[in-house]
Amino acid sequence: MRAETRSSAVLSRLYLNAVLPCLTDLADQDPAARDLIGQLNARIALRILGGPAATLSLRRGHIDWQSGAPGWPSVLLLFFGERHLNAFFAGKKWAVPLPIWGGWRIGLLKRFSQLAAKLEAILNGHASVLASAGGRRLHARLSLIAAGLGLKALAQGDAIAMSTLRSLPPGLASFSIEAEPHATVWFDHGSKNSAAGWSDPPRRADVRIVFGNLKVAYAALRDEIDTMAAVGTGEIRIDGLIPLADGLNFVMERLRVYLQP
Amino acid sequence: MNTPDNRYRRSQEMFARAAQVIPGGIYGHAGPAVSLPGAFPYYAVRAQGCRYWDVDDNEYIDYLCGYGPMILGHQHPQVEEAAAKQQREALCLNHPGPIMVDLAEHLVSLIDFSAWAVFGKNGSDMTSWALQVAREHTKRRKILKVSGAYHGIGAWCTPGHGGLVAEDRMHIHDFNWNDLESFESLLKQHRGDIAGVIMTPYHHPAFKASQMPAPGFWPHIEAACSKQGIVLILDDIRAGFRLNLRGSHKFFGFEPDIICFCKAIANGHALSATLGRKELRVAASKVFLTGSYWNSPPAMAAAMTCLDVMQREDTVATLKSLGETFMSGLVEAGKKYGYAMIASGPPAVPFLSFAEDPDLRRQQRFCGEVTRRGAIFHPHHNWFLSSAHTPQDITATLQMADEAFAVMKSEGL
Repeated sequence: MRAETRSSAVLSRLYLNAVLPCLTDLADQDPAARDLIGQLNARIALRILGGPAATLSLRRGHIDWQSGAPGWPSVLLLFFGERHLNAFFAGKKWAVPLPIWGGWRIGLLKRFSQLAAKLEAILNGHASVLASAGGRRLHARLSLIAAGLGLKALAQGDAIAMSTLRSLPPGLASFSIEAEPHATVWFDHGSKNSAAGWSDPPRRADVRIVFGNLKVAYAALRDEIDTMAAVGTGEIRIDGLIPLADGLNFVMERLRVYLQP
Repeated sequence: MNTPDNRYRRSQEMFARAAQVIPGGIYGHAGPAVSLPGAFPYYAVRAQGCRYWDVDDNEYIDYLCGYGPMILGHQHPQVEEAAAKQQREALCLNHPGPIMVDLAEHLVSLIDFSAWAVFGKNGSDMTSWALQVAREHTKRRKILKVSGAYHGIGAWCTPGHGGLVAEDRMHIHDFNWNDLESFESLLKQHRGDIAGVIMTPYHHPAFKASQMPAPGFWPHIEAACSKQGIVLILDDIRAGFRLNLRGSHKFFGFEPDIICFCKAIANGHALSATLGRKELRVAASKVFLTGSYWNSPPAMAAAMTCLDVMQREDTVATLKSLGETFMSGLVEAGKKYGYAMIASGPPAVPFLSFAEDPDLRRQQRFCGEVTRRGAIFHPHHNWFLSSAHTPQDITATLQMADEAFAVMKSEGL
């Protein structure tokens, strides 16, 4: 059901828990991103005052994401509220976070800013990114991650998503791209809680949605192909708990309300 | 997509063409996404009795019966002759034909609480119109329905997600089947503003076993509606004429205010009907109802003959007997291989599922195996029987099911 209402809390969780984790795959897949990280060994935490946080660990060309901000990071960026963080991710120049620790690490912050800009360009599908096969591949992979992990944020606060999820059977859904290494995102729709991850699922998925190739995944995630027909032709394969897949597909569409540029 | 034996090669070729020019390739309930992509035929070409043939010339014993309409079997000679005879006279006129009056009189005499009848072409035509009649009669807004029940493709009830706005369902409220507490809660919450309650005679949701009404469920619903002046609408589109020729309310022992029929009414000819109490007659006359082909006489002639044959041959008893044999045989076949099976729904509109199968994969594999052996078993939608099915067809199908269970067992599924 369509409605353009957006929750600030959901959007901030999407940025922290669905968009930022994409940096892990970006670094793994993109040599230019790895070069940016270089030999850095640092942790950057983003925290909303009195609210959620996320930490990125940059180490030898890799990036790990974790929820929360335990211990002392190299840099701690504080946002005064969800709207502040959302404005920062939306590129508003006034929405600079308060570096309450590590603000002097200008080089680190600069490289983080460059990585974030790269991620934004890929997720938003800038023309320069989509012009190359490599760019389209990254766009498809990272869009899949953001969509899968975003389900959890939506499940926790978006009224329309929550209403849809209540009508769905519980179960674990996995979404993957065939022939792409490490390209599986999963969402576990529990009766009370939900979980999501970009990895092999913790148990056999109750429903598996497999995009037959990168091109199909790219088009499906951009809403550019008839996915129902693609199921009939076998370009998208679904087996198992179909009502869960159908409902999650609708919930994923809510992401466009939040994240579409 | 290729199955190992290319069994559905032409179906898939045709689907590839369709996918270029038809949204979804095949849309709606017949679309591959809700059946078994690659393990189900997509296109069919001819049918006779309880059998049909797909475009690859695979033959099937039909346990979907066109998703319900074929109650007497495909190409029933008397029904087809009645329709053809009428069509030779006229197919589509500026006016209704006398057959509309004959059919309305016949149905009103058949359905004991009714005083009037109207006609459409599909179930959705009727359920959506019936809601408006309830609102017109009561001058209220709210409609209660059962969660997960299918009533058609109107924005107020479609199981799809596309093209909807929140306002479409602002006055539609769901309660749970057999859950009088959730029903009462809605009654209390919207007291004085509920126009109608629309329900199927038993619950037959997709992807789940069917559920019969618990003792006392229907009497409670009926009494509550009566007490609060709420119009009780029975959506008998799927089960109508299969449980009781006079409406499924007779089978379950209650009385609605409006009843909607479709599917089995004309053995495959496009016709639907709504009948109602005399108290709703004025409201019914005020709610506009029409369609390009809705006065077309041949389908009405088919319905007259279909109803006559069903009455003469006691189709209801035939379906019950066949269904009981069928379902008990399937449950036994499963048991032989260690599978606990659930036979749900009335025997005439049966459904079989695995007791332990939370992700539906056993169900999907079983139905795929039976289908490739020559009997169409839908994994996610209830099945239908016709009076053209014979005990020999049932026996042959049980053999296919036995083989399917054996394959699954051997693979440790």
